[in-house]
Amino acid sequence: MKNTIKVERAKKNWTQETLAEKIGVSRQSVNSIETGKFIPSTVLALKMAEVFGTTVEIIFQLDELDR
Amino acid sequence: MEKSKKANSKRVIVTGVLWVITYTLSLLAIKKLSPGATTGVLISFLPVITFAVFIYSMIKEAAAMDEVQVRIHLEATVIAFSLGLLMLMTLGLLDLVVSLNKEDWGYRHLVTWFTMFYFTGLYISKRKYNAQ
Repeated sequence: MKNTIKVERAKKNWTQETLAEKIGVSRQSVNSIETGKFIPSTVLALKMAEVFGTTVEIIFQLDELDR
Repeated sequence: MEKSKKANSKRVIVTGVLWVITYTLSLLAIKKLSPGATTGVLISFLPVITFAVFIYSMIKEAAAMDEVQVRIHLEATVIAFSLGLLMLMTLGLLDLVVSLNKEDWGYRHLVTWFTMFYFTGLYISKRKYNAQ
């Protein structure tokens, strides 16, 4: 699973800490998700999409390994 | 919310330290004072109370964790449990072959080993999820 969290954060000029506060997780957790080490739950993915003002499909996409 | 998380973490540390102190004091009291059987049994059960308080605060802390933190602690527990089983199995088999000195490999020492296994698991899991 690949994601565009870093790109979306850059668009908003947010740090990992800012995003973490907005979705109610720790900075370390945002880092784990952003680097693809952890796949978030649907609820957390939806929360992210909501704070970025976009859809889950834009932020998370399946890569070749997932197909 | 951040304040309550910090308060929860502080409570876990305080109750954990309290448990370690109670356990150490009970151990020293039994070893040094050589109390009678009834008093000895009562002293042996003292750390159970502080341990229960510690575990309760740990469970409360876990309820406030986010999903990545929960996964990290879950994996740490799995690693600690597996290493614990491995140690018990090996010690059990060794005990049949050679006589293990109970002063080196008694039940008391398992507490330290299991705690160490948990922190080893925590370290490995935190590294895996880049959460250090």
